[in-house]
Amino acid sequence: MPNDVTAVIQRRARELLSSGQVVMLLGYRPGRSSAQPAFITRPEDASLLVFDQSCGPNLAAFLPKVKHLGRIGVVAKGCDSRSIVLLLQEHQLRREDVFILGVGCNGVLQDSRLSDSCQTCQFPNPVIYDELIGEPAAASGQLKAAGGQQSADSGQRWQWFKNEVSRCIRCYACRQVCPSCYCPICFVDTTMPSWVGRTTRLSDNMLFHIIRALHMAGRCVECGACSRACPMAIDLMSLNRKVSQIVKERFGHIAGLRAEEKPPLTVFDPDDRQEFII
Amino acid sequence: MKAKGERRKTAGGMRKGSRRSAVGGQRKAVSSERSAPRILTRAEFDRLIDELVAKCAVYAPVAVEETGKLEFRRIGSSSEVKLEGLADVGVVGQLGLRPKELLFPQCEVLFHFSPSEPGRMVEPEPPQEQVLFGVRPCDGAAVAFLDRFFSGRSDSSAPSDIYYRARRERTTLVGLACNRPADTCFCRAVGGSPSGTTGLDLLLTDLSDGFLAEPVTEKGAALVADMPVASQADMEKKQRLAENAGQAITTTIDTASLKRRLDRTLVSEGSGPADAVWQALSLPCVNCGVCTFLCPTCRCFDVTDEEFRGRGRRMRVWDSCQFTLYSRHASGHNPRATPHSRFRNRVMDKFSYTVAMVGELSCVGCGRCISACPNGIDIRETVETLLKMLPE
Amino acid sequence: MSEMQEFEPRIVAFLCNWCSYAGADLAGISRIQYPPSIRVIRVPCSGRVDPLFILKALQNGADGVLVSGCHPGDCHYLTGNYVARRRFAVLHDLLEFCGIEPGRVSFSWVSAAEGERFAEVVREVTERIRKLGPNRRMNAE
Repeated sequence: MPNDVTAVIQRRARELLSSGQVVMLLGYRPGRSSAQPAFITRPEDASLLVFDQSCGPNLAAFLPKVKHLGRIGVVAKGCDSRSIVLLLQEHQLRREDVFILGVGCNGVLQDSRLSDSCQTCQFPNPVIYDELIGEPAAASGQLKAAGGQQSADSGQRWQWFKNEVSRCIRCYACRQVCPSCYCPICFVDTTMPSWVGRTTRLSDNMLFHIIRALHMAGRCVECGACSRACPMAIDLMSLNRKVSQIVKERFGHIAGLRAEEKPPLTVFDPDDRQEFII
Repeated sequence: MKAKGERRKTAGGMRKGSRRSAVGGQRKAVSSERSAPRILTRAEFDRLIDELVAKCAVYAPVAVEETGKLEFRRIGSSSEVKLEGLADVGVVGQLGLRPKELLFPQCEVLFHFSPSEPGRMVEPEPPQEQVLFGVRPCDGAAVAFLDRFFSGRSDSSAPSDIYYRARRERTTLVGLACNRPADTCFCRAVGGSPSGTTGLDLLLTDLSDGFLAEPVTEKGAALVADMPVASQADMEKKQRLAENAGQAITTTIDTASLKRRLDRTLVSEGSGPADAVWQALSLPCVNCGVCTFLCPTCRCFDVTDEEFRGRGRRMRVWDSCQFTLYSRHASGHNPRATPHSRFRNRVMDKFSYTVAMVGELSCVGCGRCISACPNGIDIRETVETLLKMLPE
Repeated sequence: MSEMQEFEPRIVAFLCNWCSYAGADLAGISRIQYPPSIRVIRVPCSGRVDPLFILKALQNGADGVLVSGCHPGDCHYLTGNYVARRRFAVLHDLLEFCGIEPGRVSFSWVSAAEGERFAEVVREVTERIRKLGPNRRMNAE
């Protein structure tokens, strides 16, 4: 039996597609192990849609790729909706390009455990939507210090960082599933000059991971798609949380909450703290 | 597809005068008098490993804390090896157990050079003799594929790969039959078996009170030559386990029909009704490299030079057909510019291209791409759809 | 002599064209002494400095990096250094989190009139790096 949210999503998808309000409904359908993104274009296929705790992928990542088709209906959890806001802030999407079916989220399961990112979720409910489906979820996320690994000793932090990034096989799954990573040419793919070596030696992996995290500054909504996608179980969420924390503490900004806000690293305050400058 | 026996043969007799293995024996099919299955208790197994550790590099599944997975690691003692429960693929998984990396490393130095000494190239030390324990039969089949792929062609249009060969000749693969396949396993659908011996030197079967060891090559036979010969009861037990495991894999794929259907789309790449099928199938694909990097038969690489303070090295590093850079020309033109064309390439490679090139499928049904795909793409469903949607 | 005394750091300095580069020039023509440890790369503005440049320098053998631009409010392009400051702040905190030694990467504001200050900054940065020793963590070797 489909749960209530699934039933409503199916019904609304059917209506939106039949009435021509959207050309595609981006949602989830069951896969053999976990839910898979579904790209529904025919009203009769709406019955394929589901929503449950296996619906992990951040569907906002697909919006820039399908927006040319016309208006897209999209199922959005709290984090997904923040990604949509981020895309709006950065002019990758226009509000009228999407019809957002918001859903409250009780967390995504990975290997039948609550995903790491969801354990610290502060925004389980959509921050932007055209319609809210089902009941809002109760915020259950516990604030966790960025990286339980943050030791007082620089050498120990280095060991942790080295240990994590040395496992990277540079498959770029973290980048590809991330809605914030939409650059047509990523810095690791430039060849003239070739900024990042293509090997998996520590120094190349480090360069990639530090710059990836920096590019997330003020842009990461902590949906955890990257860490769930990582086949090597690299603790990407610690790096993401750290940059979010830096940006929040220094510039008072939380990513993806208000579409009219400017990304914090494109603006400034003359009084920004500069204690680190000689 | 070639018969299994032929697959196995390619691994042997690669280079004349190859160095005799430190663990004894050439990679040629075991002679009948040495082929008798042996029985190993855990104690004997440990003794065997400890003897080998003293002679060469031994890799075996080790539980790695950070990833929570079993991974092949070089071990210093039998006590580090985790073989318990390894025959249960569903529980243990196989994402961490990737023998390909030990034969075809993700990044490998080909030679060192220095601008101050033009023309002088220093090659790294030849690889060490190595023994891998706990290789899954699907991965054995994948190594047999790589053997054939990298062994070159008789018309010399594709020369043999000396770097791969150097490692392969110094490698002994000890397999472990899968008693309980995972729900992502489909080796039987692509010509393999959870108790297959293709590509392996020795196949172990976990009989719970010990291992049954079946020599496949002389190299493998040499490892267990002084162990007691298995009893009829042991053999029957193994037979039952193998049958049960085989029955657990129910996926079937008409690979011949699939190839015919795929080949009809060769001339129409990028257009027509077939292209629409590929587009629809590839929608959830984000073109990351997970499937190709974890695939035991994916073998594409790029060659890159690195310079550091006046010293250089030429390296080869894995590449993936899923990346835009993979097919981009120096001119900037990219003949495979769309995401779905890259998705298509992987499937075509597995079920069509390599059959044409070396006579074998390059999917061994290990299921890694299924369990690791961030968006839950299942190659079995992809193939099912292709068989339905593409005309024969 | 101990190894520390022998160690002469190699520091890559990204200097903005309008202020810090001119400051370095002034230090030169004023014959102010400072350690010969820096290799200067002139950039149009501190805002031009991508964190990638900094990490790449460390990867390719630099023991330290100095980025220097116009004082806040003095940017030739009005706001380039303000935006750069935010970027450097995040980089600074993140590098610390990742366990790259504090002091490997330094930032300063030096105007065209501050020849003595430029020399002072280079002395201080060189001393920091000398204490840290050669860069082994980020080094490609």
